[in-house]
Amino acid sequence: MALIGSGGAGVVTVGNLLLEAAAVDGSYGLMRRSAGPQIRGGESAALLRFADTPVEYAGDYYQLLIAFDWRHAERFIDEIRLAASSCVLHDPAGGDVPEPIVHTGARLIPIEMQTQAREIECGRANMIALGLVSSITGLKLETISSTVSRSLSAKGENVIAGACACLERGANMGQSLGIELPLPIAHVGTEDRWTITGNQACGLGALKGGVRFVAGYPITPASEMLEWLAPRLAKMGGCLIQAEDELASVNMILGASYGGVPAMTVTSGPGLALMTEGIGLAVASETPIVVIDVMRGGPSTGIPTKSEQTDLNIALYGMHGEAPHVVVAPVSIPDSVFTTQWAVHLAESLQTAVIVLSDQQLAQSRMVVNRPPDIGFVTRRVTAQAGVENYRRYALRADGVSAMAIPGTIGVNYTADGLEHDERGTPSTGSHDHLRQLNKRATKLTGFDYGDHWADIEGDGTIAVVTWGSCTGAVKEAIRRVGEQGVPVRLIALRLLAPLCKQQLNQALEGVERVLVVEQTFSRQFYHYLRSQVDLPKFTESLARPGPLPLAASEISAMLLVDGA
Amino acid sequence: MTNPQEIATKAEFLAHAFALEQESVDRYEELADAMDTHNNLEVAGLFRKMAEFGRKHAVEVERLAAGSDLPTLEPWDFKWADDEGPETGDYADIDYMMTPVQALQFALANEKRSRDFYGLVASHSPNQTVRELAGEFTQEEAEHVTLLERWIARHDSDTTIADDLDPPNIVD
Amino acid sequence: MNPLSDKIEPKDYKSDVKPVWCPGCGDFGVLNAITKALASLRLAPEQVALISGIGCSSRVPAYTNVYGFHGIHGRALALGAGLKAARPDLHIVVAGGDGDGFSIGGNHFLHACRRNMDMTYIVMDNEVYGMTKGQASPTTAPDWTESELTPSGTHARPFQPAAIALAAGATFIARAFSGKPNTLAQMVVLAMQHPGFAFIQVLSPCPTFRPEQKEWKNIVRPFAVDALPTSDPALAALHCQRDDGMSTGVIYVEARPVWKRSDMQEIAIDDIEQEFRI
Repeated sequence: MALIGSGGAGVVTVGNLLLEAAAVDGSYGLMRRSAGPQIRGGESAALLRFADTPVEYAGDYYQLLIAFDWRHAERFIDEIRLAASSCVLHDPAGGDVPEPIVHTGARLIPIEMQTQAREIECGRANMIALGLVSSITGLKLETISSTVSRSLSAKGENVIAGACACLERGANMGQSLGIELPLPIAHVGTEDRWTITGNQACGLGALKGGVRFVAGYPITPASEMLEWLAPRLAKMGGCLIQAEDELASVNMILGASYGGVPAMTVTSGPGLALMTEGIGLAVASETPIVVIDVMRGGPSTGIPTKSEQTDLNIALYGMHGEAPHVVVAPVSIPDSVFTTQWAVHLAESLQTAVIVLSDQQLAQSRMVVNRPPDIGFVTRRVTAQAGVENYRRYALRADGVSAMAIPGTIGVNYTADGLEHDERGTPSTGSHDHLRQLNKRATKLTGFDYGDHWADIEGDGTIAVVTWGSCTGAVKEAIRRVGEQGVPVRLIALRLLAPLCKQQLNQALEGVERVLVVEQTFSRQFYHYLRSQVDLPKFTESLARPGPLPLAASEISAMLLVDGA
Repeated sequence: MTNPQEIATKAEFLAHAFALEQESVDRYEELADAMDTHNNLEVAGLFRKMAEFGRKHAVEVERLAAGSDLPTLEPWDFKWADDEGPETGDYADIDYMMTPVQALQFALANEKRSRDFYGLVASHSPNQTVRELAGEFTQEEAEHVTLLERWIARHDSDTTIADDLDPPNIVD
Repeated sequence: MNPLSDKIEPKDYKSDVKPVWCPGCGDFGVLNAITKALASLRLAPEQVALISGIGCSSRVPAYTNVYGFHGIHGRALALGAGLKAARPDLHIVVAGGDGDGFSIGGNHFLHACRRNMDMTYIVMDNEVYGMTKGQASPTTAPDWTESELTPSGTHARPFQPAAIALAAGATFIARAFSGKPNTLAQMVVLAMQHPGFAFIQVLSPCPTFRPEQKEWKNIVRPFAVDALPTSDPALAALHCQRDDGMSTGVIYVEARPVWKRSDMQEIAIDDIEQEFRI
């Protein structure tokens, strides 16, 4: 279901309450957000889907649309697909139903929410809507009431009483509509379930990985992760600094990490662009850092509030010179915990920069998840012991990882350097030192055992979809559907984008005759990247579309069902 | 600072004498290294030689100081005639293409400053022992001055720095 | 035991890497002042970190044997801030040139002054970009025409490091001359002992691109006012603005709360996970 409205209609609040109440009643769900550019009073949408299993895909279309008004609806109306079977509950006070909505053939039901709310003291139209949803979905009114009461507890009894009265009024109004969309309930306990956003999940993963220093500069849609981290880091004995810009952010984390404290910064595309020189320094000086890029529409300032996967190229190739580093991407909201934790592990183990590519869709969506499993990495930076004879910070070793001295350690003092250097770290312009150090920095990444984490692989068959990031949810749904029609399709969702595990990817593609590469870009960045790295089957197609329109499982399944031969 | 005449004990005097030589050695070594790095090997060699002289003198001072507890002075607490030690020279007189005779003139200025420093102590210290010791040191520095003047006279007196055929380099 | 040879000496803080600086460069004097200051403070080399950006003067960390990070152009203060935040136990000295600190790194300079972290920032100011062959820097006079890049001068008012540091909130501001390493060493000691952000602008002649700066030794003089150092920003501003930029000494010292991280250890990861439970 989708809720849209502008100017204080409170759709995001309703969405959050609904997700929470549904979770308490045993349902899994996902809530995406879509917002306009205004700080206050702008149009926004809460887009929800419920199921009896974890929901990683927002759905092809919405069965229920509740519209408080239609202001600026044209800005995101194409993100809210409707079918002829859909129902649209719209407040006549919010204006006429726009043409594109009428054209869908959906059932249009005018329902007075604002007028009804005004009749109740402290009444709000969004609570009327929540009541409506309760009766339509069978979500227990008591559950919603207690969720609402809890969230409004600071606002006083009158407000709570008004909200509860609205809920009841809405529920009564809903009964006469004759719409039934029962909430799917998972019949096991909810005690091990969480509601979490992708931004929170990345933050949690970083803390679990051992990050204790973060520097960042506010940027949409990443600021929420910084805001989530700041108080929690402080309480865990760590520290977050709001830097003066992204150039400072990345250099601050380099300083902290040089001091021996696992460190991270969080940004979005424009910030990543500013950070690339600093990331190169992390690579050259072999100082571990983690950089999270919550991607948004680009280029330039682009579409800050909406999702896209178009920072892949800058993440892979953005550094000047040859600066091998690691690029990872979570394949779902709960996986953001694991992938970020893994990113810290890789940065620390490999003494390099790791870029984590999340995106607005993962980051700002809230999901009911099964508690992500605890993964215990033995994350340890190889450090130099005090008083080692003839200490060489950049010593050449078989695995490419050399012991890093942490300031305070006696007798192994050294100067980290972004200038090319010899094994001691002394600047060198000689070709022999350059070649050796280039080789050192490259082999430590390619020779590392990434285990099975490099990708999520599911299913069998001669068709495979290769995808990454937030597209994975839609792809999984598409594969499930074509599977039901008897066409088995393999899923390969890459978590490790660089260095690409070519051998493993080739193995995963064994027996595959046809590949579909799915991504949310305009210029097919992922497709071209894969093509440049591995020999894909002759029948390899690309399904790529830029944001902010999310990819629909139906489009993917349609492509899979077309006879590729 | 800037009051050598107030040096009042043998220990304080020897601490000055040792620091003077030690700083002299360190500075000449630094200059010699810099000249090495910049391919003025002849001047590098001269500075290296000056450092060697300084080292010998430092050993002598150490010998005189044996058994006595010298005060630890901070760099800004020394009673030099100027803020800086007499034999550290002036960076402004250094050029990467300086000629040997210019290097000797640099050294001469150092020796003269040392001589004058010891001279002030010799004539003004309230302590008889210090005055006598400083007098000996003044004598020795005066000999160095004479020696250097003789060397300079022997040398080609060319003090014009040759044209630099290589433009400055772009580094990082 | 010989009483002279077991002393902590400035050269104990030097490495065996030979400077690339031109003979006669003022930066030698700064290096000597830093090592003298460290010896005076009797700091263990492993407890000190010297952080720099890019430029001639930014080469300084490798010439010492303390911990060092030779970072990228303009970002030394950010590097130092991160290290200080993560490792409050270390003594942090950030060093670099006028281009590094006031041009490409100008924003970080302002915010480092504001933030008032406990660290010392030494800028070797020679009013020129040396490493890239003699271009005008933010502190170059507007009518300096020796650079091919700005053949008719910059026509821009020179950056006023001390006045800007004052306006931005630095709590220790001083100006010094590289030709006086002993005086500078004392200033570095005071700066490192100052709780908060201490800024020293060091006039450090470039014999290669600004040979006329050899005259600086005859021009620099201590501030001829008894009022300095002061804790009154208005008075400090007055003297900064009246001065021709060649007076040396500590100008401003203010006791202001130093940036401090919280050192709570209140919760564990399990506590944080609780908040996600349904």
